[in-house]
Amino acid sequence: MFFENVDFSGLELPPAALRLREEVRAFLKAEVAAGTFIPHLGHTEFDADFTRRVAERGWIGMTWPRAYGGQERSYLERFVVTEEMLAAAAPCAAHWFGDRQTGPSLLRYGSEHLKNKYLPVIARGECYFALGMSEPNSGSDLASVRTRAERVPGGWRVTGQKVWTSWAHKAHAFFVLCRTVPDIGKRHDGLSQLIVELDAPGVTVRPIRFMNGHHHFNEVFLDNVFIPDDMVVGEAGQGWKQITSELAFERSGPERYMTTFALLVELTRRLGQAPDERAQEMVGRLTARLWTLRRMSLAIALTLEPASADGGAIDLATEAALVKDMGTFYEREITDAARLLTVVEPTPDATDSFERYLAETIVFAPISTIRGGTTQVLRTLIARRLLGSLK
Amino acid sequence: MNVPDEARLMLVESATRLFTDHVDQKMLDAAKHDGWSQKLWQVLEQAELPRVSIPEELGGAGGTLSDAAAVLRVAGRYCAPVPLAETGMLAGWMLACSGLAVPRGPLAVGPVHDETLTARKDGGRWIISGKLARVPWARMAGRLVLLARDGDRDLVASVDPAQCKITPGRNLDDEPRDEVVLEDVVLPDADAAPAGAGVTREMLCYRGALARSIAMAGALERALELSVAYAQQRVQFGRKIGQFQAIQQELARFAGEVAAAVAAALSTAGVLERHAVGKAGHEDVMLAVATAKIRVAQAAHEGALIAHQVHGAIGVTDEYALHHSTLRLWAWREEFGNEAKWAMALGRAIHARGAGELWATLTKN
Repeated sequence: MFFENVDFSGLELPPAALRLREEVRAFLKAEVAAGTFIPHLGHTEFDADFTRRVAERGWIGMTWPRAYGGQERSYLERFVVTEEMLAAAAPCAAHWFGDRQTGPSLLRYGSEHLKNKYLPVIARGECYFALGMSEPNSGSDLASVRTRAERVPGGWRVTGQKVWTSWAHKAHAFFVLCRTVPDIGKRHDGLSQLIVELDAPGVTVRPIRFMNGHHHFNEVFLDNVFIPDDMVVGEAGQGWKQITSELAFERSGPERYMTTFALLVELTRRLGQAPDERAQEMVGRLTARLWTLRRMSLAIALTLEPASADGGAIDLATEAALVKDMGTFYEREITDAARLLTVVEPTPDATDSFERYLAETIVFAPISTIRGGTTQVLRTLIARRLLGSLK
Repeated sequence: MNVPDEARLMLVESATRLFTDHVDQKMLDAAKHDGWSQKLWQVLEQAELPRVSIPEELGGAGGTLSDAAAVLRVAGRYCAPVPLAETGMLAGWMLACSGLAVPRGPLAVGPVHDETLTARKDGGRWIISGKLARVPWARMAGRLVLLARDGDRDLVASVDPAQCKITPGRNLDDEPRDEVVLEDVVLPDADAAPAGAGVTREMLCYRGALARSIAMAGALERALELSVAYAQQRVQFGRKIGQFQAIQQELARFAGEVAAAVAAALSTAGVLERHAVGKAGHEDVMLAVATAKIRVAQAAHEGALIAHQVHGAIGVTDEYALHHSTLRLWAWREEFGNEAKWAMALGRAIHARGAGELWATLTKN
């Protein structure tokens, strides 16, 4: 019914991936030893210097063709890098969207011009992307976006407002989903993806602060911004198809179940080598759930691998939705276990990592089941696959 | 690409066809009374399905543990009332690893709890004694394949059930779980051998827990299929109940549990397979088996309840098929250790290794 053609028993990382893991671990260990970053949980911090050092190792855009600055390595190797970065709670925000979303979208749909313009600089850790999807009146219902692009000689004039745009205040450009043809009933038609540079005339970025004062969200106003034709990604009017085709990767990655992992490690440390049976059982359960989620995520990465060339032989979008749904709930289970097994009051500025992580995961917990498809939208999608369209 | 090989797909297809042709509600109801379906057993035996993972030179089909797991998943889906896992993955494995022939016919295995059987050598024969609780399928078995203690070593013994005192017992869906008493049972030397490489009480428990996890994953798939089918046709308030978002959300949650159960159980079969060829360590096996039993049992808890909730009152009747799946789920989750037992064992191991090792432990192949 799910994972129909996936071979779980053969899920084994090849030697190259295992060697890479050791390299990434050694790199991160050295970074931590040098104190170059402070790990934060619940969100990933923006640190351009760190991103450049990761890029020097060839770990950004690592699956892309060499001609565009990539390393032509496997998705599995990228998976390994991603999960190691998450385990260390490393600050990856600067290259996160470029590596995961912009790059693959450009490779699949972008013109030669766009690929040459952006992929090498993203891979070098010099160009940072954000995503312009949601709007004040378009959250889960993304096809209802109202930002519109009007045809002008040589390009488009774009007007509208985007919200929840993470790190737009530090990024160079963002992908904007907008309407290039008025909505005349067939709402998935007429949407397009454009690249807007954030320093272009007519672009205004304003912060939206998180409930703890943290600034990564923004609202971005687009006032008659001129976008030349060559900044359209793929075909004008095909934007919906383009964004939905990448969902399996976006929703099934380790970032959907590992953003609180470092708290589990600190909890285990705090409980000591021989905790009581209640603690043993809870940690045992959490470990089992993580092992299983990782197997599912790995299975998707491994199965989709060659499909990237021919456009997706096996559709695992529903499986990816399952991983995200269960993964984001799992992250909160770690937070709850940490609370319930210890006597501690969450303290944002605590010097002790365990206490600070606990505070961070509690505050950021609500967002994981909202971004990237809310739990309810995911479950509706899963149910549709189960039930078909009932009349 | 990470897809099963052609041979595995064909095996699953033929097993599915066979169970579709031979298992139905009437047969399952009859099996409740008879304890099993002898007819189904004969069909399975003709198709060599119980011996999928037994080496060819010992009379098996020479497949992998994952091949056997794939068949067991289908059997679990159909609630097949036969000792499939016991015959091949457990008893057959113990015999084959210890250089003993694997006889045809259904096999039972023990001990499946904490008891210990004692064996002592008496000239050219063995004397075996002990009492075993709730041995699956003992009264149907052609042979009881038992692990007995002879001083400081284990002996694998193939015992004729007629020499034992067997008191019938049953589980929630009337599968045989019998008490077996051996009072100085005499066994010719040829029917026993020192336990072969890897055959230990612990490994028997691991494989038993894996076998139940796989069958439960299959049973969960069936419970979900029945629930989806019911939601597609049951009409209330003038609409199919599957059109209500409240039902959709529950079914989607159920689907996640089923997918996780399948992933955990089948991945674990792969780890045991790699262990057998030296590519996974003992602690990897413990982690995988514990995970499978914990995660699948959690899925069984959530899934069975959602299945019944979606069905409404019809689901709790003996005339509707759902109970064959859910009763088995509720029975099997206790066998070879429930999720609490395994979670404590796993947590203990994680803590003993220390926080710094947690990530490395999780990311071993």
